[in-house]
Amino acid sequence: MPMRAENPLHLSAEKLSLGCPVLDRLLGGGAPCGFVTELSGEAASGKTQLCLQLLLSAAAPRSSGGLSAASLFISSEPPFPLRRLLSLSSGAAAPLDHILVSTAFSFKDLLNLLKHVDALLSLVRPPSGRPIRLLVLDSAAAIFRADSDDARRRSSEIFTLAAKLKEQARKFNLAVIVTNHVVDVFDGGSSDQHIGNYLNLSSSWRKVCPAMGLAWANCVNMRLFLSRTAEDGNGDSGTGGSFGRKLQVVFAPHLPETSCEFMIRREGVFGVATQA
Amino acid sequence: MEVSALPISPTNKEKLISAGYTNLASLVIVSPIRLSRELQISVQEASNIIKVTLQCSGAVGLDGRHVVLRGAQTAWEMFSDEQNLKHISTGSEDFDGILGGGIHCGEVTEVGGVPGIGKTQLGIQLGVNVQIPIVYGGLGSKAIYIDTEGSFMPERAYQIAEACIMDTLESFRFHRKGAEDCHERMQPNYFLANILYFRICSYTEQIAVINNLNKIVVEQKDVKIVIIDSISFHFRQDFEDMALRTRVLKELSQTLMKLAKKFTLAVVVMNQVTTKRTDGSFQLTLALGDTWSHSCTNRVILHWDGNDRRAYVEKSPSLPQASASFSVTGKGIRNAISHSKRVRMM
Repeated sequence: MPMRAENPLHLSAEKLSLGCPVLDRLLGGGAPCGFVTELSGEAASGKTQLCLQLLLSAAAPRSSGGLSAASLFISSEPPFPLRRLLSLSSGAAAPLDHILVSTAFSFKDLLNLLKHVDALLSLVRPPSGRPIRLLVLDSAAAIFRADSDDARRRSSEIFTLAAKLKEQARKFNLAVIVTNHVVDVFDGGSSDQHIGNYLNLSSSWRKVCPAMGLAWANCVNMRLFLSRTAEDGNGDSGTGGSFGRKLQVVFAPHLPETSCEFMIRREGVFGVATQA
Repeated sequence: MEVSALPISPTNKEKLISAGYTNLASLVIVSPIRLSRELQISVQEASNIIKVTLQCSGAVGLDGRHVVLRGAQTAWEMFSDEQNLKHISTGSEDFDGILGGGIHCGEVTEVGGVPGIGKTQLGIQLGVNVQIPIVYGGLGSKAIYIDTEGSFMPERAYQIAEACIMDTLESFRFHRKGAEDCHERMQPNYFLANILYFRICSYTEQIAVINNLNKIVVEQKDVKIVIIDSISFHFRQDFEDMALRTRVLKELSQTLMKLAKKFTLAVVVMNQVTTKRTDGSFQLTLALGDTWSHSCTNRVILHWDGNDRRAYVEKSPSLPQASASFSVTGKGIRNAISHSKRVRMM
């Protein structure tokens, strides 16, 4: 099959709304379809919350910024937060038939699952009646952090996974969201200065860096970082978790390095508009 | 072949031999003026003799050049060719400065750096800048963009093209000659349409497209840059036979070098960064190993210096090792905003 050149003007530029206008504006419209977007952050930074909101947004009709599509949620850290999903979609009927949930605990499981997903994605009439347009993997770190005896094998597995995800993202115009943990960064590490701006990342008074190293960083198209901000004073003053949270664009080919505060309420994740 | 066998008049033959020109090799290198003086004939006649000699000795290439060996060039000819070559600007004068004017046509340049440093930005910028029309000092050519990572964003390319057009028009505000002709070309849409985009999802596709480039360039005519972003992504997966990987990559690089030479176009290859263990400590290095590192003519490393981005010419046969800071702005690649750090020679 000869490959044909494409005109960039005809490439898809569809975005999946995050379900909040402030966050969408920060990201130039939302999570791009055809892209692998990483959401990294420490535990309880809001990664899964944002993922759930994306699931609802994908199912929402196009008139309200959704894709009117189905989505696939692959969990490596069960249980799937079904109650939270229901509370987020309060009011409207939860689009549960349009959210497929699966689990994978190892690289092998995951790759097999994704191969089956290929078949599911290419069905002309998908089971839920809508095409799948969003794939969430929560989290990639759990898969690769569990078994890491052989660094070389691990990195080739990371690249294999990334290539598969990117291929599916491209072929089926999927928005792919992958969550990642963070690791602590210790000052005085010799190679850290070269990696540069990661040193600016901090969450809950700690210097951190997204997990899975440089190999994985090479694999994502866009890296978002969720943090609990230190500027907010005593985060543990018992005010019901109202410490500051920040969403930061670490790198993305189409966005400058920006950030925005956000909060998590019962109704969902909301960005805080800065006074301009 | 002897002078006596040349298809010229017998008197001239005699004159040549008595002047000491017994073999063709000595005739090939003499100038017409000198020959006319020595033989006491007109310059016209002398240059005719030289022309006939060149044809007979088979020392004239198809392009009318003097060639010692078929297909070979003298260093002098290469030098004058190089003088006529244009460079593709990176968008930042400081960056262009350490590259000797910009990215060189006819060469393969490798650009490496950590994720988020601006490799893709540079790729898009070059794909746009190569299209600046000739009247505005550009090359007025097309670009081929081979995207293996899926990071090419049309909306970003549009932004960069728009800014490039605005800046170009601004700096040529008082220069109207011939500018009207390319008025309709100075549109972001036109620029985007002249980036021939290939999205690659596996290494087999990557090899296929690179092997097909020759044909594509011939079909499309004036392509002056091929950008591969990145060469390494699909080669870092499960490759059981590492020796095979090395051979395949070597072949790809040779194909790219031939292409660059044949069509005098620039090939820019992005590469990822990996950690390498040497003497127990970890160091950052470009991916794909040692054999690959010989594969590109020039190697430029992009790296962080505190909060500034810097570019560093690590390897080049013609440029000194130097570094310069640059920045990635809304408009694309530009000079660093803080001018405190000037070009630093190593």
